[in-house]
Amino acid sequence: MLFQTTPEHEALRAQIRAFAEEEIKPIAFMLDQQNGFPDEAVRKMGEKGWMGLPYPREYGGAGLDILSYAIGVEELARVDGGAGVILSAHVSLGSWPIFAFGTEEQKQKYLVPLARGEKIAAFGLTEPNAGSDAGGTETTAVDKGDHWLLNGGKIFITNAPKADTYVVFAVTTPDIGTKGISAFIVEKGWPGFDFGDHYDKMGIRSSSTAELIFNDVKVPKENLLGKEGEGFKIAMATLDGGRIGIAAQALGIAQGAYEHALAYSRERIQFGKPIAAQQGVSFKLADMATKLRCARFLVYSAAELKEHHERYGMEAAMAKLYASDIALEVTNDAMQIFGGSGFLKGMEVERAYRDAKITTIYEGTNEIQRVVIASQLIGRLSRGSGGGGGGSRSAPKKPAPITGVRKHHIFKEGDAQAKVDALVAALKKDGHDFTVGIPADTPISQAERVVSAGKGIGAKENMALIEALAKAAGAAIGSSRPVAETLKYVPLNRYVGMSGQKFTGNLYIACGISGANQHLKGIKDASTIVAINKNGNAPIFKNCDYGIVGDVMEILPLLTAALDTGEKQPAPPMVKMKRPQPPKPAPIGKSYVCGGCGYEYNPELGDPESEVAPGTLFDKLPEEWVCPECGEGRDQFIEA
Amino acid sequence: MYCVRKVTEELYWVGANDRRLALFENIHPIPRGVSYNAYLLRDEKTVLFDTVDWSACRQLIENVEHLLEGRPLDYLVINHMEPDHGASIEEILLRWPDVKIISTEKAFLFMHQFGFHTDSHECITVKEGDTFSFGGHTVTFIAAPMVHWPEAMVTFDTTNGVLFAADAFGSFGALDGRLFNDEVNFDRDWIDDARRYYTNIVGKYGPHVQKLLGKAAGILDQIRFICPLHGPVWRSDMGYLIDKYDHWSRYEPEEKGVLIAYASMYGNTEAAAGALAARLAEKGVTNIAMYDVSNTHVSYLISESFRLSHIVLASVTYNLGIYPVMHNFLMDMKALNLQNRTFAIIENGSWACKSGDLMQKFIDEQLKNMTVLNERLSLASSLKADKAAELDALADAIVESLNK
Repeated sequence: MLFQTTPEHEALRAQIRAFAEEEIKPIAFMLDQQNGFPDEAVRKMGEKGWMGLPYPREYGGAGLDILSYAIGVEELARVDGGAGVILSAHVSLGSWPIFAFGTEEQKQKYLVPLARGEKIAAFGLTEPNAGSDAGGTETTAVDKGDHWLLNGGKIFITNAPKADTYVVFAVTTPDIGTKGISAFIVEKGWPGFDFGDHYDKMGIRSSSTAELIFNDVKVPKENLLGKEGEGFKIAMATLDGGRIGIAAQALGIAQGAYEHALAYSRERIQFGKPIAAQQGVSFKLADMATKLRCARFLVYSAAELKEHHERYGMEAAMAKLYASDIALEVTNDAMQIFGGSGFLKGMEVERAYRDAKITTIYEGTNEIQRVVIASQLIGRLSRGSGGGGGGSRSAPKKPAPITGVRKHHIFKEGDAQAKVDALVAALKKDGHDFTVGIPADTPISQAERVVSAGKGIGAKENMALIEALAKAAGAAIGSSRPVAETLKYVPLNRYVGMSGQKFTGNLYIACGISGANQHLKGIKDASTIVAINKNGNAPIFKNCDYGIVGDVMEILPLLTAALDTGEKQPAPPMVKMKRPQPPKPAPIGKSYVCGGCGYEYNPELGDPESEVAPGTLFDKLPEEWVCPECGEGRDQFIEA
Repeated sequence: MYCVRKVTEELYWVGANDRRLALFENIHPIPRGVSYNAYLLRDEKTVLFDTVDWSACRQLIENVEHLLEGRPLDYLVINHMEPDHGASIEEILLRWPDVKIISTEKAFLFMHQFGFHTDSHECITVKEGDTFSFGGHTVTFIAAPMVHWPEAMVTFDTTNGVLFAADAFGSFGALDGRLFNDEVNFDRDWIDDARRYYTNIVGKYGPHVQKLLGKAAGILDQIRFICPLHGPVWRSDMGYLIDKYDHWSRYEPEEKGVLIAYASMYGNTEAAAGALAARLAEKGVTNIAMYDVSNTHVSYLISESFRLSHIVLASVTYNLGIYPVMHNFLMDMKALNLQNRTFAIIENGSWACKSGDLMQKFIDEQLKNMTVLNERLSLASSLKADKAAELDALADAIVESLNK
C-alpha cells in the first residue's frame, strides 16, 4: 500500500495554495491587525465551489471527498490560520448537521446556498456554563404550537456575525440532561436574534467570533433539525467530523511556520554559514518535519475513514489532539529559529505562533479529545464507577425538580407592573378564570386555587397583602409550615406541605416562599405554580411555571389590582387542569434479542465488555461481535 | 396399568399427570397439578415424540409398551430437552437400544450436559426446514429458539396436520381424562392456568414467540391438531389460543381493567387500596382484580398483569425502600419483560415516605414503555377523610385513562 494522495488531490492543493498565496497572503497581516474578515476572498472561494467541497453536486457542493476538504483547510491555514477555520466552521460545523440530519426541504433551503458559498454557516453550542459539558446547556426552546420560542445565548461562535445560517442547540425538555437538547436552524435577521461584541482574540483574528443572543426568537416548527431530543447526538456527531477540520487547520498553521523557518535557516548566516548547517537547528527542523508528517497521516487517515463511512470518531480525535499539540511545538520551534526577528509583528511565524494556540482549545479541548479516545479504548465501565468525564452522557445532570416538569417562565421584561401584567396575561391564557372564586377558608386539599404566604412576607400586618390577593384571585389562603407553626399567622391546618395539607388544585401562588423540599412535595400535583420571591435563587423558582423575582411588598399589591374584578362569582366544581407527562426520550435504535439465551442488546448501553461503546446501533456492531452471554453470532438475533 | 388416549389415526397421547408436585420448576405453585405430554406415532416406523419427567417415567413406559405391542421403538424425537420432558430419555434408550434420536444440535449438547448416554445410539441432527419420513408420515422441523430454551424446535406432521408444539401452547393443570380442548370449558377452567404458565415460563421471550407465530401463520390452514407438552391438545377453535398468544407476546393487555396489588403491614395500605377499588367500581369500572402481594404467589400477579391494562401498586415504605415483596413483584415484571401498561401508585410511610418515588423510578427506568399516572395517593400511616379528594382524583385519573 502506498500512503499517498491522488494526483487529483494534489491538483486541488495546488489550486487552493495558489489562491491563498495570491488572495489572502497579501492581506493577512492587515486582517490580523484590524481584526478583519476576508469577505472578498470568502466570496471567491464560494465561486470556486470550495465552500461546499465535500457535499454532493445536487446540493450545490463540489462532490469531492473529505480528504479534499481537509486539504482545503490545510492550505488556507498554511497561509492564514483564521482563513482555515472560516472554511472549517462553515463546512464541518454549520453545514454538515444540515447535510446529515436535515430534511430534503431543509437541505434545499439551507444547504444548497451554503454549499454554493452564497451564504455562510455557523454552529452554536457553547455557552457560559456549557463548554466541554453540553449537558449544562441553558438556552431554551419552548414549543408554542406553531413555532418554537428560543431564549438564551451562545458564546465564542466562529463565523458570527458574518454567518447567515446558524445551527443552534437548545433545551426542549428541561432536567433530563442531554436527552432534552434539540437542534434548530436559525437565520440571521430574525426578530430577537442579535449579536454581542466581536471578540478581540489573541490569534486567528481574521476569523470572526461573536456572541449570539436570543430573545424570544420565533423559530418555525419546520426548522427543528432532526428529531426533538436528538440535539446532543447531532452535536456530538458534528464535532466528530469538525475535529478533522481543526486538525487540518493546525496542520496547515504548523506547515506554514515550518516552511518559513526552513527557508530562513538556509538564508540566515551566522558563524560564517547558514544556521541550518548548525546541528542544533537542523535537528529542530528534522523533528518539525517528522511531527508534521505524523500529523498529516493522522488527519488524512481520519478523513479517509469518514469518507468510507468507517468509524472515525476516535481517529479524528487523535488527529485533532496530535496535530494541535504539535502545532504549538512546531510554531514555537519556528519562532526560535527566527530568533528576535520572529518576535516582531508582521512576521508570519509570530502570527502562526498565536494562531496555533486556539487549536488545542476549541471544538473540544485536547483534554476532552483524550476523554473521547480513552472512552473508545476502555469502553464504559460499570455505572457509578466513573466520576467526572467518564459518567453517562445521557444521565440527568441534576435531580429533576420535585414538582416535575414545569415551565420555569420567569418574567424579566420591564418594570414590576409590566411583569405582573405579563403574568396575569399568561395565567388567563392558560385558562384560569378570575371572574370566579372560592372562599378563603376552603380546605387546602379541596381548593382550586391557593395564595400562600412564606416567611418572606415579614411582619404579621403584611398578611393583609395575602388576604387581599387571595380575595382578588378568588383563592383560599395557605402558608408554609413556619408561617403556621412558628409565626402562627394562620391556623395549623392551613399550612401546605408533605406533612401538612397537599394542594392538588390548579393554581398555587407562592408569596415569599423559598421552597423547602417538604413544601414542594405538597404542591407537586398543582397544575400551575407561581412564585414571587425577592431571592432569584430560591428553589421555588426551579419548581414554578411562572415567576417574578421581586419584593412581595411591591408585587402583591400590583397583582391584587390586576386580578381584582370586584365580587367573584362562586366557582363551579373544579376541573383539574392536566399536567403534561414528562416526555420520554425516544430510543436511539432498536434492541435485538439473542436466540441462544434471550440476552437483549440495547444500543443505548452498548456492550462495554466487548469494547462496544454505548450508542452503537445493532447494525453497526463489528462483524466479529458475538453475544456476550452465550457466544451466538449476530445472525441469531432478532428484533425485540 | 397403561393410560393412553388416541389423538388421531395411529397417534396416541402417552404422557402422564402429576398432582404431587407442589412447585413447577420448584418455583411456581401448581394446585391443579400438571401433565407431561408425550405422543407415540405408529407408522411403518414407531416414533415417540418427547418423554416425561422422571417421576412419571413408569407410566410412560407402560403406555409405550402397551401401544408398541412388541414392536421395537424406532425413533425418539426430542423437541425440548428441559428435564420435565427429557428426564426419561435415559430409560427409553436403555429399554430400546436400537432407537434413533432425532433432535437439534443444541439439544444433543444438552443431553450430554444432563448426563444422558446417547453415544451408542444413532443421533440424527436436524435443523430448520429439514424433513423426515417415518413411512406414511412426513414431518418437517421448525426451529423455535428461546421458546423458551435455545434448543427448542417444533415438529409438524404434514400428513395429518399435527403440530408437536413443545412448550408453546401449554398449560399448568393435570388432565382429568379429558384430553382435548373441546372436552373441557377452556375459557372457564383452563385459561388462567394457561396464562400463568405462559407468562411466567415464556413471558420474557415475546419477540421469539412472535417469530414462531409468524412461521405458524404460514401453515395455519394445514394445522389440525396442536399437541403441546403440557395441558390439553387443541383440535378446534385454535384462533382463540393464537389470539391470546399474540397479545401476550406483544405485551398487549387482553382486557381493559385494573389489577390492584397492595403491600400492607397493618391493614392501612390495604384499606386505602380497598377504598380506591370501591371508588373505581362506583365509577363503573368493574373489571378489578385485587391481591395482597404478601400472600399471593408472584406468578399469579404476573399472570394478572399480563391480562389487564392498568396496574395499581400500593406499597408501604420499608427500611426506606419499597416493601420487599412488592419490590420482588416489580423485579419479576422486569424479568418477564412486561410492557405497555398504565400504572397508578399509592404510597404509605409513617415518617419518611419513599415507596412511591422508588416505585415510580423503577417503573420509569427499569420497565419498558410504561405510563405512570401523575395522580398519586400519599398516606401518612393511614387514609383519613381529608384525603378523599386525592382518592377521588386518583380514581378519576384511572377511569379517564381506561376510557382513552
